[in-house]
Amino acid sequence: MAAVAVTPAQDLADLQGLLVRGYGNLTSACFLLLEIDEPDAARAWLALTADLATAADSRPTASSLNVAFTSSGLRALGLDSTVIEMFSNEFVEGIATPFRQRLLGDTGESAPASWAWGGPNGAPIHVAVMLYAVDEGALATLRDAETRRAAAHGLRTVSILDTVDLGGSEHFGFSDGVSQPAMAGLGRPDRSANTVAAGEFVLGYPNQYGLLGERPVLPRSADPMEILSLDVAGSGGADLGRNGSYLVFRQLSQDVRGFWRTVDHATRRPDGTSDPVRRTMLASKMVGRWPSGASLVVTPENDDPSYAKFNDFLYQDVDRDGLRCPVGSHIRRANPRDSLDPSPGSSRSLEVTNHHRILRRGREYGHRVDVKTLFDEVGEDEERGLHFVCLNANIARQFEFLQKTWINSPKFDGLHEGDDPVVGPRQALGDTFTVPASPVRTRVRGMPRFVAVRGGAYFFLPGRRALRYLASLGD
Amino acid sequence: MERWRGQSEITIVTPVKPEAMSALGELLGAMARDVLGNDVLPFGRLTNTHFARFFLLDSAQAHDGIQLPAYLISMSDIDGRPEEGLAELVDVGGNGIDHLYSHCIGYPTALPASRQARLEYLRAHIVRADVNYVNTIGRTVQQIRGEAEVREAIEDFLDRGGPELVGGNPSAVRAAIREFVTSDGRLNWALTPAPAPPLAYRVRELVHFVVPVILGLLLLPVLVPVLLVWLVVLRLHEIRDPSPLVKPDRAHLDQLRALEDYTVQNQFIAAGFLKSGWFRRVTAVVILWLVGFGARHLFNNGNLAGVKTIHFARWILLDGAVRSVFVSNYDGSTESYMDDFIDKVAWALNAVFSNGAGYPATRWLLFGGARDEQAFKGFLRTHQLPTQVWYAAYDQLSALNIVDNAKIRAGLNGDMTELETQKWLRLL
Repeated sequence: MAAVAVTPAQDLADLQGLLVRGYGNLTSACFLLLEIDEPDAARAWLALTADLATAADSRPTASSLNVAFTSSGLRALGLDSTVIEMFSNEFVEGIATPFRQRLLGDTGESAPASWAWGGPNGAPIHVAVMLYAVDEGALATLRDAETRRAAAHGLRTVSILDTVDLGGSEHFGFSDGVSQPAMAGLGRPDRSANTVAAGEFVLGYPNQYGLLGERPVLPRSADPMEILSLDVAGSGGADLGRNGSYLVFRQLSQDVRGFWRTVDHATRRPDGTSDPVRRTMLASKMVGRWPSGASLVVTPENDDPSYAKFNDFLYQDVDRDGLRCPVGSHIRRANPRDSLDPSPGSSRSLEVTNHHRILRRGREYGHRVDVKTLFDEVGEDEERGLHFVCLNANIARQFEFLQKTWINSPKFDGLHEGDDPVVGPRQALGDTFTVPASPVRTRVRGMPRFVAVRGGAYFFLPGRRALRYLASLGD
Repeated sequence: MERWRGQSEITIVTPVKPEAMSALGELLGAMARDVLGNDVLPFGRLTNTHFARFFLLDSAQAHDGIQLPAYLISMSDIDGRPEEGLAELVDVGGNGIDHLYSHCIGYPTALPASRQARLEYLRAHIVRADVNYVNTIGRTVQQIRGEAEVREAIEDFLDRGGPELVGGNPSAVRAAIREFVTSDGRLNWALTPAPAPPLAYRVRELVHFVVPVILGLLLLPVLVPVLLVWLVVLRLHEIRDPSPLVKPDRAHLDQLRALEDYTVQNQFIAAGFLKSGWFRRVTAVVILWLVGFGARHLFNNGNLAGVKTIHFARWILLDGAVRSVFVSNYDGSTESYMDDFIDKVAWALNAVFSNGAGYPATRWLLFGGARDEQAFKGFLRTHQLPTQVWYAAYDQLSALNIVDNAKIRAGLNGDMTELETQKWLRLL
């Protein structure tokens, strides 16, 4: 067996660009959610789309287009069901199952039954076309062209999800996207604690276990035109997964006034007046970073924007008990770094944590909140939030594990109660936030849910050869 | 008043009348709909039971063609001696025991059976676990629940105390907490330290630990050559044994997942055949003995080689070491449980499970195996059985919570340095 490439560095032209960059320079974006009405026409559409899809080999400066499919989308394109079954269970079954509702906390008002898209009561979502452009004008042109092109090929637009550029912040007012895992041997090198195998995100490459993992490998006869790459494991099959990834998409609605009013109430002075300093402090304790993005581990007493992009810290040595950055805070859950078993503080701990990393590619949507009404009894509460997008090679071990075992768990890292204070679903024991302090902790109890789910789906983001293969299915 | 009781495992394996299988399945389903209050066995009335479950193991054909029976298996983890646990089961179940076990072969036909007859039937079908893992030996249900209440009360007290307490120095805060617990008649029992294991128990455990170690050392000159030969034969088996990559059937997965992730804890059962031939059977028996020895003497205090989320677990061999069943009660999701196995204790899982048919290929018993993530997860899910009826006495507490709560209670007594006090307060 020939040596297996450990990174897609030699094959970047086959990767869709979203895998290696979030298109930060393309500040305008929107996502088209499509349903396939006519398979033949859709495949003709895909043949052109495969060429239009932005590859990872160069950084686009004007616009970008990437495309992903749900399992029902692959079925609608005409992919054989035995092939679809070779994809992971999570992808095949989709995000809206009763089991996943419990795992992900998609209950109550966040239940798929009431989703705006992707739920059992809405139109099926088959395709996501992700469009990025330098400005709103360019995006509008691209969006119009792509919706027309889709419609002309029997692709019905179920929904168009617009986004907003908040300049690197999210709606609660905190800098977002500071920490992303680096892929070994690809892109900008990072310290080893934050570097994971490319196979954790790109199918067809060794993952953190040194294994190729689950992926759809077809018999060679299913690819008579030899469009696909050969399976690098040497099975002789054609790898439909290679250079692809699983894309998790969730529309997360944020109750910004609810968030700040809760924090405001919890930090009022004995005379009942607001205390802006303690208010920002508590909100930052919940997030684990100050509004600038500076980590509480690095600058525990007050915000220091000079650390806004600083991400080179661990927890165990300096902040085991969470006196700086609470154990239950959002960023500590989203990436516990070296704080978990086995042997917190060790490279083994980091190694285990790095089995559960995701690449985040989300974009905000909705108008920036009017801060003047933030603390009022009545204010505007229009829809705003995050189009959460992440990429991973194993949804069960990465996104779902992270959501269930770290974000949603009231027992995270030895806690007794409380889920993620910012994004948690407030299931049983979920509504308490503990702020470790000396001599003794304080607690905020009865925290409402600030983030609700409005839609979601699991997609497959194919490599470009795989796109061409899918387009050729009817031939 | 608390007293040292120790814990016991009870496993009752009863062959099911073939014609009664579906009716029994339905009865278990009815029990599961109201685990605490059902009229067969209202688990909510059991006072000394940590975990309990009933499940069906289907009949199957062994490698040699022999038909193995279907079993109803009952497992519980209790405080006290097995006899006390059986008695409580029979007393709480009453006529429900007849209802349940009349589906099984050999149960008295004259109903209602007497208390004595019920006890005798169950006692006659007890199978001793080959490995029994207890998170913390000696900690009773009563203690776990009581200490959780004490912690809750202290936390509420701190919430009420607010700014004054927060401003105080550590010793003052601890003193305030102690005063609060002392003044509350429902909590002040906790000021007495938890009972320690009695001398007789400690001596017995010491003997149980030391004798095999000494024997092993004495026999070393014999054991080493045997071990070397065994290793070579093992390696040959490992190279030859098939280890197919199996993707679990979706209907089977759905059945399992429908029972998961309702509380902090989950249940797990995996059952399967040992690999055929005497070599694997003997290996399995010896390894299980070693693992059981380790669980009893080395991993008996909240930490199973880096895994701190398992409350109770056990392995049993059935049908003359032809089938094996692994069962556990643990915190978190099945996915995180399987990841713990792979990331933290793959060697231990490999040592035991690699004697089971279809397990991912191991090297030298301890290596490989579970580290093949996809193959291992597929193997476990394929061999997993639904737990038809499951009872957990404190299903909102993680194993780590229970350890913390015991420390909080222990810290209500005695002198502490300033540093110790600070550390203790961080448990809250």
